[in-house]
Amino acid sequence: MDSRPLRIVLAKVGLDGHDRGIKVVARALRDAGMHVIYAGLWQTPEAVARTVAEEDADWLGLSLLSGAHMTLVPRVMQVLRDNHLEEVGVMIGGIIPEADVPRLKEQGVAQVFGPGTSLDEIVAFLKQKGTGEAKAP
Amino acid sequence: MTELIERMLRHDRLALSRLLSLAARGSAGPDVAARLPAPSQPARVVAFTGSGGVGKSSLIGKMIDTARRHEATVAVLACDPQSALSGGALLGDRFRMGSRTDDGVFIRSLAAVSGHGAVADHLELMCRILEVYGFATIYLETVGAGQGDIAVRDLADVVVLLLQPETGDDLQWEKAGVLEVADVIVIHKADLPNADHVAAQVRAALELSSARAVPVVLVSAKTESGLEELWQVIQAAPLRRSPDAGARRELLRLAQDRLTDRFFQMRDDHELAKLVEAWQRGECSADQVADAVLSAVARSCPEL
Repeated sequence: MDSRPLRIVLAKVGLDGHDRGIKVVARALRDAGMHVIYAGLWQTPEAVARTVAEEDADWLGLSLLSGAHMTLVPRVMQVLRDNHLEEVGVMIGGIIPEADVPRLKEQGVAQVFGPGTSLDEIVAFLKQKGTGEAKAP
Repeated sequence: MTELIERMLRHDRLALSRLLSLAARGSAGPDVAARLPAPSQPARVVAFTGSGGVGKSSLIGKMIDTARRHEATVAVLACDPQSALSGGALLGDRFRMGSRTDDGVFIRSLAAVSGHGAVADHLELMCRILEVYGFATIYLETVGAGQGDIAVRDLADVVVLLLQPETGDDLQWEKAGVLEVADVIVIHKADLPNADHVAAQVRAALELSSARAVPVVLVSAKTESGLEELWQVIQAAPLRRSPDAGARRELLRLAQDRLTDRFFQMRDDHELAKLVEAWQRGECSADQVADAVLSAVARSCPEL
């Protein structure tokens, strides 16, 4: 067997303590046959990048409900680049105002899933994107 | 591949991570194994096992810090179960181990297929890669089935079994397969009432079978009591890993998997249908029918 399931790190950065949404997403991705590495609450951008590197993840999902996304997400993207992890896809979930979505995408975020997104939509997005070409050995 | 191994030897953590993925995938495993140099120092491989919720991940988190206080580098291979239905997995061990940005620590989460001995496949090769990279200590976390998972004994130098208060009466400790896999027994959550009582029961059960001395240590990850004593006991244990036995076990498992695949592919096989009929009518013994099935499978594969 040579195909491996998608490996996805899910984390929350900063002091936001609302983890219900990210746990629901974790469960849905698991049930879709993916391997979810749940890194949990209160992570620093540096710790997240380390987890992504050590887990050889294909995707990083960040959940933010605190309103600090325009501060924290660019910082995570920068640390990922500093650690040569630019081929890892990044998706964001949580409460993100429409106006901020293009600004996050400019930072290299692949997709933003706001309130009301169905779980099927997230699963379908990941299945369609799959692993980046750079992941092939 | 050679370039990847060279980068890993220069302590490139991304290369290490990618090599572990290749090893986990199986197909590239032999290629990695053949090109891997011998480790400059043998690592001490310590397995933590015990039922779900007993505190394996939390204890490993604290034992990472203990190892770092002793200036030992640590790698962790943490196994969680993989769904037999979807193939998916929620790997939550590292969450309980605390987040750190320390080059002396490396944590990888792995999904374990059920029926493969409570650990992920290809763990032996992954341990070798981490050993070659230079980690002094490797912690393995099993999925936590607890009873009778002895595969981990071949992979680890020291098997630490975690027990906790309120897990049954003293007859639990007489059951085969629970205590006998352990080199060290931890009575975890020792801050809870009755921890002493469980420790006394376990010590009494161990004394009856005095084949080898198994230390019993009271530990609490919550209050951090007993961590230093556990570290010392682990360091004092002899290095007991047997890669040959591990390799044999892996070969057997690979052959079993192949046999299972072939068996289910033979759904319409005439000979197998006749065997099923004979077995249902009680015309042959279990031994006879098992031999006959093996022969039928062998005959159905021209390459055998």
